[in-house]
Amino acid sequence: MASDRPVQEAENRLERFNSDRERLLAEVERRVVARRVAQAKAGGDHSLEYVLNDVAFHEIRRHEASKNGHSGEATARWRDLSRRLLAMSDEDKQSELRSLVGFYGKDVVGNFDPRVYKFATGIGPSLLGFVFNPISSLSAGVAAMRNLDARITADGEVELARACAERGTIVVTPTHSSNMDSPAIGLGLLRAGLPPVTYGAGKNLFSNPFISFFMRNLGAYRVDRRLKFELYKDVLKEYSTVLLEHGYHSLFFPGGTRCRSNLVEKHLKLGLLGTTVTAYKNNVREGAPNKRLYIVPATINYRLTLEAETLIDDYLAETGKSRYIITDDEFSRVGRMVEFFRKILAHEGSVIVRFGRPYDPFGNDITDDGESIDRAGRVVDPASFVRGADGEVSDDDQRDAEYTRALGRRLAGIYPRLTVFHSTHLLARVLYDELARRAGTRDIYRLLRLAQGECTIPIADAIAGVDRLRARIAATPAFGAEHPGFVTQSSQDKVADAVKGLSTFHTRTIVERRDDTLCVADAKLLYYYQNRTAHIPPEGA
Amino acid sequence: MTTTRAETVGIVGAGRFGTALGSVLARAGRRVLVWSRDAAIVRAIETTRSCPRLPEAPLPAPLEATTDPRRLASEARLLVMAVSSTNVRERARELGGFLDGSHIVVHAVGALAAPNNDRVSEVMQEGLPTLKIGVIAGPALPADLALGEFASMVVASAFDEVVAEARRLLNAPPALRVYGSHDLAGVELASALAGAYSVALGLCDGLGMGAGPRAVLITRVVAEATRLAMAGGANVRTFSGLSGLGNLLVRATDRSADYQLGRRLADGVVTADNQRTEGARAAIAGAELARTLRVRMPVLAGVAAVLDGKAEPRDVAQLVGDSVASEE
Repeated sequence: MASDRPVQEAENRLERFNSDRERLLAEVERRVVARRVAQAKAGGDHSLEYVLNDVAFHEIRRHEASKNGHSGEATARWRDLSRRLLAMSDEDKQSELRSLVGFYGKDVVGNFDPRVYKFATGIGPSLLGFVFNPISSLSAGVAAMRNLDARITADGEVELARACAERGTIVVTPTHSSNMDSPAIGLGLLRAGLPPVTYGAGKNLFSNPFISFFMRNLGAYRVDRRLKFELYKDVLKEYSTVLLEHGYHSLFFPGGTRCRSNLVEKHLKLGLLGTTVTAYKNNVREGAPNKRLYIVPATINYRLTLEAETLIDDYLAETGKSRYIITDDEFSRVGRMVEFFRKILAHEGSVIVRFGRPYDPFGNDITDDGESIDRAGRVVDPASFVRGADGEVSDDDQRDAEYTRALGRRLAGIYPRLTVFHSTHLLARVLYDELARRAGTRDIYRLLRLAQGECTIPIADAIAGVDRLRARIAATPAFGAEHPGFVTQSSQDKVADAVKGLSTFHTRTIVERRDDTLCVADAKLLYYYQNRTAHIPPEGA
Repeated sequence: MTTTRAETVGIVGAGRFGTALGSVLARAGRRVLVWSRDAAIVRAIETTRSCPRLPEAPLPAPLEATTDPRRLASEARLLVMAVSSTNVRERARELGGFLDGSHIVVHAVGALAAPNNDRVSEVMQEGLPTLKIGVIAGPALPADLALGEFASMVVASAFDEVVAEARRLLNAPPALRVYGSHDLAGVELASALAGAYSVALGLCDGLGMGAGPRAVLITRVVAEATRLAMAGGANVRTFSGLSGLGNLLVRATDRSADYQLGRRLADGVVTADNQRTEGARAAIAGAELARTLRVRMPVLAGVAAVLDGKAEPRDVAQLVGDSVASEE
């Protein structure tokens, strides 16, 4: 319990990742195969025959649905495996299992090229401008992006996060609302003086060869969300676990995919976050309980979101079921991305990353020295959370999942406080409140049925509303905070700035000024932007 | 042979329930360590093998008592928090200094905790370092347990390990059988509400209402408690189980302090705050919770109003009756 013991320093090894890669992959393969073979003794769903057949079944389905020209060959290969399974000996099944684990491991594994990192961080903004600006708009894009990193700011508990990165391994857990989050958080970490992190990026992001090249070389590994069978998830989780055990700082988006509604994420899917408990448990088992892991909450706050139109349409789709993977959004349209960089990121302070105070893997707060403390503020040994009555480390997946849920509750609880509001969010909220007041409901579907012409609001009322909202936010830190760069801005200027953003970027105008009134032209997108403030109760409630 | 930490049950509090549970377990051969801050009680247990708060419960040798929380934490991994709702916050904070993340703590508090009407597990979470928290509740009156009567309880927690360990260590058939559940919130709410509704049944019987109105009252109680459970995120079936209905039926007799309070209230006896039972506190807290969650609970609100001196028992009975008639 003493706090004076040394906390082992886990250095950032990303620079040496390439030399570590084969060893890490071999470790992943060894663990997954050993676990599956051991579980197979229970038979039934755990048998190797079932596991391999599950892979073949899902792969056949995926390839049959694919429009890829090679899908026929792939389907035939998986059908062949399915057919051979019945005649396979146990040794054959184990060999096939090992081969598949190796195959998926190689598909997942990332890369880190220090030369690319140096290049990217040295001229980061211009480089990213290049990455996201294909040839046609190269010169304009590069020019617009030259000062990109000045447009991204990072604040919050950066010093403590830095200290944690020196003492142990950090896992950055930001909110997720855009495909721009990966470069944004990458630059945010750089601005905060934090080391680069490895992270799992959706395979669809790798479809652009430029993006793929840089993501691959900056520590991203590929997550193919189309692969839904357990063996692939095993490989992915084990890979993440091994990375953490070896001290590679990581990043997970606990919300899973991009938040369609723009609400501050409340119900987290957690996903790979659970690997933090497993990795720490393995550290304790290996006799290294001081090899700590720290979970650093963060929010990424955009003045305008590139994919807002697609995301909110998807969220409100009448089918009622959001698409899990969206491949045809603004991110995939070159022109829109160029527009985003030129018009939006050129705006000062358009993206702000705010870091929160780190937690341990069990959701406990930590001291400035990196020691875990309980809710009463007493130092507690984190290793005790994974020990049984006899003091030995015990394996209990359900317990560990519950710990991860507790951590998720802490993250979901802190995100609102870490939210930073831009002018666009504030005005959208004020206008939405007014629409709701007139309609007698906050239900978006009912509001959407209002005639557009009815949605005009005197600009003076909007300014007064923004004034009141700013005062409420300033008085209640749990709601979040205004962008620190614009706290002294008058509400009049804030409204003007918001109208400019909300009327010019998206293909659909959200709000437009007509003389002394503001007219809401697109209630869906207004709803999207106001949702960032939805955790703030309505005035007078 | 020295009994290991894994095989020892620690009991926090030497009140009636803690003593009764310790008695049942010790008689079944389980090692029990009772922690009390009252040195006289500890001495009495060690010298007379009985506790002044429940003298009819024999406390054989596998049971020991101590005033040292450090000893409790080091000798037992599973702890049962058997203190009143008014003390639970302070006890958890005091004990928390000696526990770590490996401990398992289940509470047997059938009430919500003041001042914010939090569930007891939430209060314990604020004071204890471990996340492995649960609740034990059910139709097991201390007097019955002391006499070795057949009793059943349910232990609930989000952690499988808590449920499994509590069932392993607290099962003492035939005197006590322990069932498992994952509905922590549901069992806590059901247990608290059962005490509150025991007051209601005491009122009902004290007013001389017949078997018909009594049956109606019980069914309405199940309905409104289920509504609150649903609003509180609990399982709709939980109140119909051991911790809710089972608990209520066993308490609706003169052997329950809550029921006795209800009868006294029906007789017009004014009760000072400090004489209130856990059930009375649960009624007032539950009524507030229902208002917060916007759940209509006429029976609970009526009991709370009588306890607060804002309504006459007979008027409330009439109101509840009318409400029932128009609601279903």
